[in-house]
Amino acid sequence: MPKWAMVIDVDKCTGCGACVVGCKMENNVPIVDPVEAQNGRVMFWMDMMTTTEGTLPNTHTKRVPKPCFHCDDPPCTRVCPVGATYRNPEGLVAQIYHRCIGCRYCMAACPFTAKVYNWYDPKWIDGAEIGNPDVSRRMVGVVEKCSFCSHRLMKVKETADLEDRPITDGEYIPACAESCPAEAIIFGNIENTESDVYRLSRSYRVFRYGEGLGVEPKVYYLARRTDV
Amino acid sequence: MATLSPTSRKTLLFGGFGALFLLIAGYVALGPDDGLRQPLQYNHKIHVETAGLICTDCHQAVQISPSATIPQLETCSLCHSGEPISESPEERRLLEFVSNETEIPWKRVYRVPDHVYFSHRRHVTRGGLECVTCHGDVAEFTVPITAAVTPVTMKHCMDCHREHAVSNDCLTCHR
Repeated sequence: MPKWAMVIDVDKCTGCGACVVGCKMENNVPIVDPVEAQNGRVMFWMDMMTTTEGTLPNTHTKRVPKPCFHCDDPPCTRVCPVGATYRNPEGLVAQIYHRCIGCRYCMAACPFTAKVYNWYDPKWIDGAEIGNPDVSRRMVGVVEKCSFCSHRLMKVKETADLEDRPITDGEYIPACAESCPAEAIIFGNIENTESDVYRLSRSYRVFRYGEGLGVEPKVYYLARRTDV
Repeated sequence: MATLSPTSRKTLLFGGFGALFLLIAGYVALGPDDGLRQPLQYNHKIHVETAGLICTDCHQAVQISPSATIPQLETCSLCHSGEPISESPEERRLLEFVSNETEIPWKRVYRVPDHVYFSHRRHVTRGGLECVTCHGDVAEFTVPITAAVTPVTMKHCMDCHREHAVSNDCLTCHR
């Protein structure tokens, strides 16, 4: 059974935000109007954590992309009263929207604020109403989050299955990894010892957020710097 | 406050029941109007038995794509063009569609919700399922399909998956 994991090389990342846009487009993530965004209701599956240090003109901005970490021991799934979020055998932490009752316990439990809530029925800008037909639209009152583009896995699995072969390394990658111009996001099966993800997750530069929490995130960060 | 005499009370009571009965009888007799009326009285049986066609002759994409596809006019016109090949008045109507080059507005009957991924290719090619399993014995149908033979429900899908030891993980179908 494969176990899907991601490596984000912060040394390579330029902070351009292509992954954020790619993710929004791929997954039909609604664009929230500026007023509501100010109220903390902004919706991102792939979020760009941005901090600015120092005082003008001597400022220093740090940007780190943050998807859902698809923890191996996810705290969000433990608190869900209806089983709408669960960890599947391949290590993907799924969100089943039609089962979600919108209690937002999972949002409170997630140490990384990876989940977002649909406060309103999404409004689409002209021309974007159709969106990506491979991903369902979420309705008001449900929680959603990064799925590691599991709809892509469905298709890849089907093709590989029909050709009677295992999924090759790099065949299934999420939209963020595909759209990254710096190739800073690497995705694959961490159980496969020949995959790039396996190799990089054992790099001396590797670190994970929330290491002391025991949730075992499956998104590994690489950085030579120690201050990210 | 005015009080009703026993007779008028009885009239009111029976009148009420009568109206309710009429409503129910009317609903049962006429049925809910689901608006599903196919544009042509297509006869599957004739096409299979007399013309000797098989499902994939018209539903061509069933083995190669997620959707089985409702045949387009182009497929019909492979056999039906120019002179009618039967006595059927329905064929005459079809030939009108062909000569006008307007697509037949077939109504789709089987539909899964947008949060479900269903692939005909996988079920037919990999799973080896026959069309009959879900669509019933279409080869015996003399009238067009207006209602799903098998309920398109999650229970139905999951029961079959369980029976065939196929994964019932949510992410197998939900997206």
